[in-house]
Amino acid sequence: MRFPDLAMNAAQSLGAEYADIRVQKTTDQVIFLRNLSLKNTSTNVLNGYGVRFFKDGAWGFAHSNVFTDEAVLATVKRAAEIAVLSASVNKAKKLRLAPERGYIAKYETPVRIDPQSVPLKEKIELMLEVNRAMLSFEGIRQAVFYLVMHKDEKVFASTLGSRLELNTQWITPMLAATAVWEGDSQSRSFNEGGKAVGWEWILELNLVEKAKQIAEEALIKVKADTLGPETRRSLILDPIHLGLTMHESVGHPTELDRVLGWEADYAGISFATPEKLKTYQYGSEIVNFMGDNTLEQGLATLGFDDDGVPGQKWYIVKDGILNEYGSTRDTAPEIGLEASRGCNRATYYYDQPINRIPNLYLLPGKKELTPAELIADTEDGVYIQGQGSFSIDQHRLNFQFGGDFFWEIKNGKLFRPLKKVLYKSCNPEFWNSCDAICDERWWRPFGVINCGKGQPSQSARMTHGAAPARFRNIRVGGSQ
Amino acid sequence: MNKNFELISDYIKKHCQADDYVLRVNSSDNHETRFAQNRVTQHIAGANLSVDLTVSFGEKSGSCSVNQGDPESLDYLIRTAEDMARLNRPDPEFMPSVGAQELPQTQNMDAATRDLAPARMVEIVQQAIDKATAYGASVAGMTEKHYWETLLNTKNGFVGTDSATEFGHSMTLKKDNVETKVSYSAKDMKGFSLEGEFAQLASQAESLKTMKDFDPCKIAVILRPSALEELLWFMGWMMNRRQSDEGLTPFSGQIGQPFFGKNFTLKSTLARPELYAPAFDREGVASRELTWVENGVLRNMPTNRYWAKLKGLEPMSAYNAYMPGAHASEEEMMQMVPRGLIINRFWYIRTVDAKTGELTGMTRDGVLYFEDGKVRNAVNNLRFNEIPHLATRRIVAMGESGLASLHSCLPTTLIDGFTFVDKTSF
Repeated sequence: MRFPDLAMNAAQSLGAEYADIRVQKTTDQVIFLRNLSLKNTSTNVLNGYGVRFFKDGAWGFAHSNVFTDEAVLATVKRAAEIAVLSASVNKAKKLRLAPERGYIAKYETPVRIDPQSVPLKEKIELMLEVNRAMLSFEGIRQAVFYLVMHKDEKVFASTLGSRLELNTQWITPMLAATAVWEGDSQSRSFNEGGKAVGWEWILELNLVEKAKQIAEEALIKVKADTLGPETRRSLILDPIHLGLTMHESVGHPTELDRVLGWEADYAGISFATPEKLKTYQYGSEIVNFMGDNTLEQGLATLGFDDDGVPGQKWYIVKDGILNEYGSTRDTAPEIGLEASRGCNRATYYYDQPINRIPNLYLLPGKKELTPAELIADTEDGVYIQGQGSFSIDQHRLNFQFGGDFFWEIKNGKLFRPLKKVLYKSCNPEFWNSCDAICDERWWRPFGVINCGKGQPSQSARMTHGAAPARFRNIRVGGSQ
Repeated sequence: MNKNFELISDYIKKHCQADDYVLRVNSSDNHETRFAQNRVTQHIAGANLSVDLTVSFGEKSGSCSVNQGDPESLDYLIRTAEDMARLNRPDPEFMPSVGAQELPQTQNMDAATRDLAPARMVEIVQQAIDKATAYGASVAGMTEKHYWETLLNTKNGFVGTDSATEFGHSMTLKKDNVETKVSYSAKDMKGFSLEGEFAQLASQAESLKTMKDFDPCKIAVILRPSALEELLWFMGWMMNRRQSDEGLTPFSGQIGQPFFGKNFTLKSTLARPELYAPAFDREGVASRELTWVENGVLRNMPTNRYWAKLKGLEPMSAYNAYMPGAHASEEEMMQMVPRGLIINRFWYIRTVDAKTGELTGMTRDGVLYFEDGKVRNAVNNLRFNEIPHLATRRIVAMGESGLASLHSCLPTTLIDGFTFVDKTSF
């Protein structure tokens, strides 16, 4: 492809201190089935390029979907003009870029069966079978199956000499069954999020059996008791649930752009400010969070980020202490870091990349511990599986979470199913109340495919993971 | 019609072999200047195109979208959509595309906003930063303009075009421990004044200087339009006719019933020129005056064409939100209840229980406590767990309706007994 060289030569001739071009073709195949009716069967292609131009401590970003020499040169010129305008604002406060070198490399998501090569008929037959399995249960009023297969083909070039070919993909299946009974309706879902794998994952999942299980559980849930007034109890949270909890209460607060106040107008800021680094007790001593953009099957495992920085692995919280942030080339220098952690990502070609949560996971416990042993060791608590309602303040302190399926624990046993359970907590109380984490045999990932952030809003992907963990003395109760 | 749209439309008409098709084309030109900590952090410009084709053979459908309008891309678009449709299964809920419709005249586009120069947008940002600096504060926000054109065309003869502009400017000011926000979103810049916006921002910041700890409880709230907008959008998403008829929402079986407060009325309207009102929806159903709730009685809910046909109803979509208000000022509202809170904005609202309609969320950008008719102090942010349709039964008073955003015209509203369940530390 000649356009990257053309663009970078043009950028240099226009005086760029740094510039890059990201040529990106995104292909999504989406199939949405509701009660045996196909609501969406589509293939969507977005193909274009975005040029970033950095000069005098400011960015300009322009994008286009026209692949001609003239259009590429016009886009570089527009990015340059915008950078000059940006730099004219408050000349005393310039951005800086952390040092980086150029790379010539290729990265490709390892897949055995390309999902987009599987015949549509085969996919739909499977989805219908799964849908029928859910609807075969009396009382199930709604059965949905949402399947997305996503592919990005990227060429990245920068004035540092980088030339990267990055071909990545992921897939996500989501099933949900909704039961209606005596004036109430409750849903139960199978949703492990997305994985950077091929169709082989779908074949391994045995979704028909999963569909029967969630239909049965939806019926149990709609007939279940509610918990009553809020009291302090123990919580055992499964890995899928913890994926969302850590996303909101650890992932976002440790994005360096939020810490710096760059998201103050929309997504919010962070309580985890730089003076707390290396000293702040974010969690108990058994709490260790890794940022890891090299994680196998991780949605943020892309080879390189959109700054051209390679994937890395580092502690964000180590032995309970806030250790480091997820950073980008333009945020890292603001707190004196010498290098970016490679967290700058854009969703589509027309998006300017922003500081994103990396793959972020809770390390498993070091001692052997099974979920059954953890439950047996819990006198009074609630076991929460899956994800439900979630809400957190804009400093990432106070939060309230629901879940998808609940069991009350009494005297070390699963006592009765529950519905409409909510818990409330805050940082750092919540992670400091973590007193047990199951061992690595029980560690499971959850891939977020819709992390909304930025103005204009972008939807990013990253993978979280955990083994079941227990939290003591949390406020738990029923909804209204 | 946009010449490019015409070429695309003609090409699809000539080459698409399907029994039926729906073509949607959208082009946009956007410019966004984002700033934080008193400098520009992002600056984005570019045009987009989306060409979306849904075809059907009998009751089998397939869709494809591309973002280029050249013959090669359109050939891919047609071939892919047709291949998907041929491989698909018949849809028991299939609906043929709409035919020709009489569409309302709408005016959503302002040429001056479309042509707004980037230099002028940066000038606005610089002025905002200068004012924040002079105030001893930092400011974050975005200045943006959008221009878009839409075409919907079907094999059965529907042709609809629309164009619109939006100018937006938001500012979040931070000074010491005070954070507060103002935002402007409209079809044009005619009502925009940076002086006015910043004066409002500074006034809010001044009012928040004295902060006292406040515990969650049931209490009266004066919801300013931005706060009410957030709450009503989430309630609106649950107002779906089919889902309700299937027993999945709080509105099941409530059509024609006094389910809301008797002074609560909610509409989508073509009659308010300040509101964005497209001439047709995604299915090609013409926009018209729609009353969702009238004096507390649930009259209608959004209904797609399939469900409308099955149930003998008219299809309808919510395209904006207009809530008629009254004439009470905030000062008068504060006299009507012994004490309460003034809420600027809500944040991170989520559904807690889809069947009861319970939502959770937090206050943001300033909460004021009033007692005996006067503002006493600012308080910490709070979490609510509340059922909005029940909250409308506790509406005590309303101000005049005003633009909350391009999509909503709502009054400041006094609601008694709003349920706060938790607080945060700021």
